[in-house]
Amino acid sequence: MADIELAASSSKAERAKPVEMVQLIVFRLGDEDYGIRIEQVKEVTVTPEVARMPKTPPFIKGIANLRGDIIAILDLEERFRLRPAGRELPERSYTVAVEAADYTLGLVVREVPRPLTLPLSQIEPAPEFVQDTGARDKYLEGIAKLPDGNIIIVLDMRKLLTPSEVMRLPGKTASK
Amino acid sequence: MNKRILIVDDSFYMRTMLKNMLTDAGYEVVGEAANGAQAVEMATSTSPDLITLDVILPDNTGLDVLKSLRQVQPTAKVVMCSAVGQEVIVNEAIENGALAYIVKPFSEEKVLEIVGAALQNDAEQTA
Amino acid sequence: MKTRDQEYREMFMAEALEYYDSMSRHLSELERNPSAGPALNELFRLMHNLKANARAMGFTDLGEMAHHLETLFGLIRDQQRTFSGALTRVVFAGVDAMGAMIRAIGANQPLPDAQALIENLDRLVRGEEPVFEEDEVAETDEEAGKKMELSDLVYIQVKKLDNLLNLVGELVIDRDRIMTLAQELDNPALLATAQHLFRISDDLQYSVMDARLVGVGVLLNKFPRVVRDVASAEDKEVELILSGQDVQIDRNILQIITDALLHLVRNAVSHGLETKAQRQQAGKPLVGHLTLSAMTERDDVLIQVRDDGRGIDTEAVRRKAVERGLTTANIAATLDEQAVWAFLFEPGFSMASKITDISGRGVGLDVVKLALDSLGGQLRVESELGAGTTFTLVLPTSIAVKGALLIEVEERPYAVPLMHTDTVLALQPEQISVVGGVLLTHFQGQPVPLVPLQLLLNDEGDEPLPLATRNDVQGAQQVLVVNYNNRRLGLVVDRFIRQQNIVIKPLSKPLDTIDLFGGVTLLGSGQVCLVLDVPALTRLFITKRP
Repeated sequence: MADIELAASSSKAERAKPVEMVQLIVFRLGDEDYGIRIEQVKEVTVTPEVARMPKTPPFIKGIANLRGDIIAILDLEERFRLRPAGRELPERSYTVAVEAADYTLGLVVREVPRPLTLPLSQIEPAPEFVQDTGARDKYLEGIAKLPDGNIIIVLDMRKLLTPSEVMRLPGKTASK
Repeated sequence: MNKRILIVDDSFYMRTMLKNMLTDAGYEVVGEAANGAQAVEMATSTSPDLITLDVILPDNTGLDVLKSLRQVQPTAKVVMCSAVGQEVIVNEAIENGALAYIVKPFSEEKVLEIVGAALQNDAEQTA
Repeated sequence: MKTRDQEYREMFMAEALEYYDSMSRHLSELERNPSAGPALNELFRLMHNLKANARAMGFTDLGEMAHHLETLFGLIRDQQRTFSGALTRVVFAGVDAMGAMIRAIGANQPLPDAQALIENLDRLVRGEEPVFEEDEVAETDEEAGKKMELSDLVYIQVKKLDNLLNLVGELVIDRDRIMTLAQELDNPALLATAQHLFRISDDLQYSVMDARLVGVGVLLNKFPRVVRDVASAEDKEVELILSGQDVQIDRNILQIITDALLHLVRNAVSHGLETKAQRQQAGKPLVGHLTLSAMTERDDVLIQVRDDGRGIDTEAVRRKAVERGLTTANIAATLDEQAVWAFLFEPGFSMASKITDISGRGVGLDVVKLALDSLGGQLRVESELGAGTTFTLVLPTSIAVKGALLIEVEERPYAVPLMHTDTVLALQPEQISVVGGVLLTHFQGQPVPLVPLQLLLNDEGDEPLPLATRNDVQGAQQVLVVNYNNRRLGLVVDRFIRQQNIVIKPLSKPLDTIDLFGGVTLLGSGQVCLVLDVPALTRLFITKRP
C-alpha cells in the first residue's frame, strides 16, 4: 500500500526515534484534496436519504438518519465555494461522519474517501495571515506536501464544526 | 449564591435524607459519593463549599478520605457524620481539619445548624 | 398516597435487606477464614450503617441489636476477641434476629423480642461466656428452612432508563416499518409474526415508560417548606393543602417542571394571596389557602396551583397589553378574559412591576410557559377577581410517544403534535376572505387567520410575509387549525397524510437552534420527518404577518 511505503521510507533516517505518524481520511472537494485526521472521523458511508431542512443555509443539505442518529449533512464544496460550474453532486455520493465536541455531522463528498498515513512533520502549519478571510483557510490545520508533489489541505474539524460556524450563512459572514 | 455541598456516605438512605434536608434548606447538593474514591473525584470536579463525610466508608476509612480531601480541596469545609460509638475517629478527624461533626441519627435542625455554622466560619475567614 | 416518609421507609427497607444479605455472605466467609480482614471491616461497616439508619427511622430494637454487633465486631477486628466457639453462634443468631426484624418491619408486624440475645452480646463484649437456654438448641434446626431475601427494589440511574427508552423508541419505529412491509408483501406468516412483534413491543414500551414513573409527591412534598419560607418572609399566613401525591408521571417531566411549579407557588404566596389586613378588609378568613394538587385526566397529568387570593385584574392586564404595544386598543377591547390573560405569558410582559402590584400576577410566567412548551404541555388559567386564581399545568404522562398528525408540504412530510391541533378543514374559496393582506376564515363563529405553511417554512430575512390576495386561493384548501395559547391559526397544507403515534427525537446540535422544529421522527418507511413546533410557528406568524 502506498501509504505504508511512504511511512517506511521517511522513518528510515531516524530509526532510533519513532517518527510521529498521522492518519488522515482524504477526499476531494472541487479539484483539491482535503484531509481530516482519522480521530475526528466516526465513519464513512454511502450518503443516506437527506431531508432538506428549511431555515438553514444552503450548504446544509439537510438531515439524515445515520443508524438512529439524526445528523446534519454539510456540503463543503458549497461552503467553501469550490464547486466547479455544472458539476452537481452525483446521484451516489459518500458521507464522512465527523465528530465535533458533542455531536456528529456528515460531510458529503463525491468519491470514496481514502485513508493515508504520513509523518506529522510533513504537515506544515497554516500561515498566520489567513486568519480572517472567513472561508476555508480559517479551519486549516496545515498543508501536507506528498513526495509525489501532490498537496493535501488538512482541515481541523474542531474549528469548523462549532455550532455558530455551521449555522453561519455564507453571505452574512462579512457584514456581521 | 447558594452554597454547594458534596455528600459522602455509603448508605443511599442516609444520603437521600441528608440531601433532602439540605436542598429543602436552599443548599445546592452538587454530588453524592458512596465511597472514598468517588468522594475525592467529585470533590475535585465539583469544588464544593462544604463536604459532609461519613467516618466509616467501604474502600477506605473516613480518616484517610478526609486527608485526601484536605489535599485536593483545601478550601472546602468538612463536617463529619457518625453514629455514636465512633468518637475516637471523630476526634482524630477534628484534629485533621474537619470542622464539626454530626451524630447520627440526626435531626434536620441539628444538621442545618452545624452546616450553617461551618459555612459561617467560611464567611468569617474570607471577610 | 406516597409521602416522603414512605419513600424513606422503602429506601430503608431495600438497603437493610441488602445489608442483611451482605452480612450473611461475609459471615460465611469469616467462618471459613476467621481472620479475614476485609470481611471483618465490611461487617463492621454494615452493622454501623444499619444501626444509624434504623435509629433514624425509629426502629430502636433493630438499632440496638446492630449497635451490639458493631461493638463486638470492633473487638474482633482489633483482635481482642476471636470469631470462634460460642461467639460464632451468638453472632449468627444476632444476624438472623436482625433479618427477622427487617422482615417484620417490611410486613408491618411487631419486632420479635431479642432481649436474651442482646444480653449474650453484652456478655461477650464484657469478656464473659454467653448463656444459652435449653430450647435455643432446637432453633438451629430452623436454619435449613430459612428464607433467602433479596431486595424487591433496584436503584437505577435515570440515564440508563433514558437509554432504554430511546432504544424502545427505535424498536417501535422498526416495528412499524416491518408492519408496513408485511402488509405490502401480503405474506400471512410474516403478517402474523409482525402482529405479534407489534403487541410485544407495545407491551415493552409500556413497561419501560412505566418504570420511569414516579409519584408527583416527590416534588409536591418539597413545597410545605417553600410555602412556609415565602409566607413568613411576607408576613402572611398560608395553609397549604397537598393532594394527589400518588399520581404517576415520568421522572424527567417532573424534573423539567420543577422550576415552573416553584415559580407559580412562590407567586401565589407573595402576589396572589393578600396580606392579612387586606383579607380582613375583604371579609375573607385571615389565613390564605393554597392548594397544590395532581390528578389524572385521560392520558394527561394535571397539576394545579389554586389560591383564594385577589385574582387577576383583567382590565389592568388589558390596559397594560395596549401600553406595551402587544395589541391595539380596538382589538384589546374585543378580547375575552382568556385572550387577555394569554398576554401574561408573553416574554417580558410580566416584568412590569405595575402589573404585579395591580393584578398580583405575572412575574416570570413566560418561563412557566416555556417549560410547558418544551414538553408539549399546556397551561390553563382560571381566575375570579377577589376570589382567587387557579393555574393548571397539563402535562403528558410520558415523554416518549405523542399522537401527531402527518401532513405534506412541498412533497415532504411534517408531523404536528395533536396536543396543539384543533381540527382539519377543507375550505372552498368562498369560505375564505382576504382582510388586510391576511387570509381569514370563520370557524365556530370565530375569525381564524390562515397562512400557507410553505410560506412560514421558507420565510427568510426580516421582511413581513407577502400580502395575500384572492388569487392565492385556487380550489379547495386543506387547512389544519392549530391552537396555541388560545390563539388559533389555520395552516394551509398540501395534503393530510394520516394520524400516527410518533417518537420524537430532539434535533442534535447545531440544528437545535432552529425553534420552528420541535424535533424529528422516523416514519415507518425510514423517512426522516420534522416535527413542527406550533408555539414557534404561531409566534413567527404573529411577528411576520403583513
